[in-house]
Amino acid sequence: MKSLRRFFSRLFSFTRRRAQEARLREEIAGHIALQTEDNLRAGMPAVEARRQAFLKFGGVESIKEDFRAERGLVFVDNLIQDIRIAGRMLLKSPGLSALIVMTLALGVGVTTGTFSMLDALIFRPYPVPHPGNVVTLVSTTRNSSHEDFSYREFLDLRDKTGSYDGVIANSTMDAVSFAAEPHASPRVKGGMLVSGNYFRVLGVEPRIGRGFRDDEDQVPGRDAVVVLGPAFWKHEFAANPSVIGRTVRLNGTEFTVIGIAPESFPGMLIFGIPDFYMPLAMAGVFPTDPQKSFFEDRADRELAVRARIRPGVRQEQAQSELDVLARNFEREFPDLNRGRGAAIHTQFEMRTRDDDMNWKFGVIFVVLALSVLLVACTNVAGLLLSRARARTREIAVRLAIGAGRLRLIRLLLTESLILALLGGLAGAAIGYGIVAWFQTFQNVVLMTDLPVAIPFRMDTRALFVSLALSVMSAILCGMVPALQSSRTDLVNGLKAAEIDVPGRKRLWGRNALVVAQVATSLMLLTAAFLMMRGFEHGILDGIGFPKNNLLVTTFDPRLLQYNTTQTKQFYKLLLDRVRETPGIVNATLSQNVPLGEDDYTALSFVPDGFAMPPDHVNFKSAIDVVDEHYFPTIGIPILRGRGFSRTDTAESPRVAIVNQHFANHYWPHDDAVGKRIRLDNRSGEPIEIVGVAQTIKYQLTTERPMDFLYLPLAQHHVPRMTLLLRSTGDPLQMVPPVKEIVRTLDSNLPMLQTWSYEDFYVNKAIKGPGIAIKLVGAMGAIGLLLAVAGLYGVVAYNVSRRTREIGVRMAIGAGRADVLRLILGKGLALVGIGTAIGLLMGLAVERLMKSMIFDIAGVDVLVYALVVPLLLLVTTFAAYLPARRAARIAPTQALRYE
Amino acid sequence: MTNPPKTKADVLQGTLALMVLKTLDVLGPLHGYGIARRIEQISGDVLAVNQGTLYPVLLKLEQEGSISSEWGASENNRRARFYELTRAGRKQLQAEAQDWEQTAAIIARFFQLKKEDCT
Repeated sequence: MKSLRRFFSRLFSFTRRRAQEARLREEIAGHIALQTEDNLRAGMPAVEARRQAFLKFGGVESIKEDFRAERGLVFVDNLIQDIRIAGRMLLKSPGLSALIVMTLALGVGVTTGTFSMLDALIFRPYPVPHPGNVVTLVSTTRNSSHEDFSYREFLDLRDKTGSYDGVIANSTMDAVSFAAEPHASPRVKGGMLVSGNYFRVLGVEPRIGRGFRDDEDQVPGRDAVVVLGPAFWKHEFAANPSVIGRTVRLNGTEFTVIGIAPESFPGMLIFGIPDFYMPLAMAGVFPTDPQKSFFEDRADRELAVRARIRPGVRQEQAQSELDVLARNFEREFPDLNRGRGAAIHTQFEMRTRDDDMNWKFGVIFVVLALSVLLVACTNVAGLLLSRARARTREIAVRLAIGAGRLRLIRLLLTESLILALLGGLAGAAIGYGIVAWFQTFQNVVLMTDLPVAIPFRMDTRALFVSLALSVMSAILCGMVPALQSSRTDLVNGLKAAEIDVPGRKRLWGRNALVVAQVATSLMLLTAAFLMMRGFEHGILDGIGFPKNNLLVTTFDPRLLQYNTTQTKQFYKLLLDRVRETPGIVNATLSQNVPLGEDDYTALSFVPDGFAMPPDHVNFKSAIDVVDEHYFPTIGIPILRGRGFSRTDTAESPRVAIVNQHFANHYWPHDDAVGKRIRLDNRSGEPIEIVGVAQTIKYQLTTERPMDFLYLPLAQHHVPRMTLLLRSTGDPLQMVPPVKEIVRTLDSNLPMLQTWSYEDFYVNKAIKGPGIAIKLVGAMGAIGLLLAVAGLYGVVAYNVSRRTREIGVRMAIGAGRADVLRLILGKGLALVGIGTAIGLLMGLAVERLMKSMIFDIAGVDVLVYALVVPLLLLVTTFAAYLPARRAARIAPTQALRYE
Repeated sequence: MTNPPKTKADVLQGTLALMVLKTLDVLGPLHGYGIARRIEQISGDVLAVNQGTLYPVLLKLEQEGSISSEWGASENNRRARFYELTRAGRKQLQAEAQDWEQTAAIIARFFQLKKEDCT
């Protein structure tokens, strides 16, 4: 009770420290005065009376100290004192402090920005409760390890497994034509088919309305119900709750809105945000593979399957259960499932799979960002070290007048922490800037009609990581100097401040820091140049056909429930009329656009006369389905044989055109024209190769040449096709006439992804990679800047430390050149070692980048020929400046220098 | 800074507090110097070295509520802080005086102890 009361009283008096100090001072003064008077009365002389009064009172300061200890909260008091002193010390050398804060801010900012990118692409968990339990099930074959499942397979997975609290499936997000009113003209939105248990298993409660019932997924075509995405509901229906129960038209069919997904659930995709969720049973209304029956065909693998693993079930258990199931599939359906397995992957495993570009770029960015942080940290450590050294005398004085070692370390750490927090805050600001900068690329990187967003944002975790990083780096950077200086030899420390015998070990540490900085910055520069050169290489190579005056627009008649005959009729009329339009040189239909966002279909085949390796039943190749005008329109040369022609019809023998890479791959010593491939396996339907086309870029400008096969549209019906137009002038001028033609054919059919191919190419191949180049380039520049600052600091520090020595040398006859050589030589030695190590690191990064992103063999000598001299030049300059100052020292001044 | 190691004066602090309370009890409101002089007169030279140690004790007693203080004028018309025993302080004094007397009595008896008393 008493102690509690004392605590409150202390707390109270803590807040009135100043008033209490004053009171004590006054009381002491009064006390001394009264004592002095008494002494005078006792007959002492005035001076002696006062002296005796003081003696009797005792040590005023120590009484004050006791008084303070009695009065306040000692810890907080000391802390405030620490912060005050630290702040004063930091302000005493504002330039250095600002440099440290800036250095930290750059390091932390770059790391934070990169981490928030990586967070969005890889680490951010699914926006559902207990996201860690949600796993992805994939179908595997020898050639590919991440394939989807068919509807039938999904039903078996759902019903015949026991390791999960529910198995769910969804299609990819696809274009859906949407109309709120029956007569409104439809617009393109993004929708996704999901299993009836989707929301329930994920644990997502609709914001209003309800999710799907399990029975709504039983009968194909019966329950036309739809759940809206929250963002779509907001901007399309102004967040009006009365939309529940309304009907909307999706792909021409009436659907009843039954629920709105909550804000917290933007969907399970990284980039896409579905506007609608429909039950799988409504697949008939949406585009599925026309050659296969979605509900019946076990090989129509279009569904991503996820499952919530039951608590207590280990992944290996679930995997062995899945293995049994996959073997059963293989036994029951040997034709469809031969060599096909199944696997479970966690979200992290899915996002870090080796064919994922996001992951590859993420790894490279993080390696580089951490390097920047490393350079920043070593720089800060170097700066703090040199400062701690300059403060040897101050610290010795503090120790001499009774500061405890612990208290001293605490003071120095407080300084580092203040710097760290300032640096961390500034770094967070820079991180925010980088994230905001990323977001400006929304429309650049993702050119699509579908609802997508770049999910990069600075979330609390990234912020936390950045602050933790800065505090950690400051403690690491600040600890060593703090420990070292608190161990200062008092006598020496008091005697001479900065001209003490150089501790070899300590100098070695600083030199090592500089070497590390130079090496890392060389690596960063190399990475930046490699990134630039890699993309440039892809761009300079060209894509294999002229990009200009080319308009692309995509149609999907399935959106309006066209049957095959209607679809063929539509495309025939469309093409005929477009080709008659003035200003259009040529027009063609193709399933895919080179470098387009849609994946190519894969075809399994066996080449005739090719010895199959024992572990392969067939090979796979990406294909494109094109009409007879394709090669002349797009301008890909046919090297041998012929292009497709009118005579290749559904009734004539099946034909194909392969690219040169394909031809050389399977018939290296022979002409591919006239050879045959068989579909699926050795006894499959034969297709004759009638031509060899030049190899172009199919997916990325940086890709390595790949096998590619063209099939004629007449022999392979595909409903979703892209119209490519070669115009005489600006291709966008052709949009209105084409629109008019489409309107006369069917006013309800939307034109998807309409753009000039050149714009598309610029976005995809130049602006997109430009972000990566800029980011890595910025990292390289920051790394170099920091390394230069670090080197300059070390050399300058050396000069000031050795000023007297230089004076002596000059006094006994050393010339300026000698001094210059002495100081510069030391700096250049560090640069040399750093460069050598940096070269090795650069080569390692080059291998990493080339194995992951770029298809360029060997070592890019030009990059090193650029980077190394650049680094040497800049760093030499950084070392030269202080060295020149040293050489200009007047010996008479230097000898007096202290 | 952590508290300095205990000196003789610190050891006396407990008894010093009691002396302060008793002084104020007997003489009524007094300023710091007055208390110091009174204790000095009565205790001989125990406090002669460090009169200042009185002030932390006064603060502690005030924080505990045993004494209260206010500004007033000293005999030479200076502003001085006058300390006064509170009701709680009076109670505390009684309790501690009792304790002290008991302890003193026990200690005294121990010192009177002779060998034959223990057999």
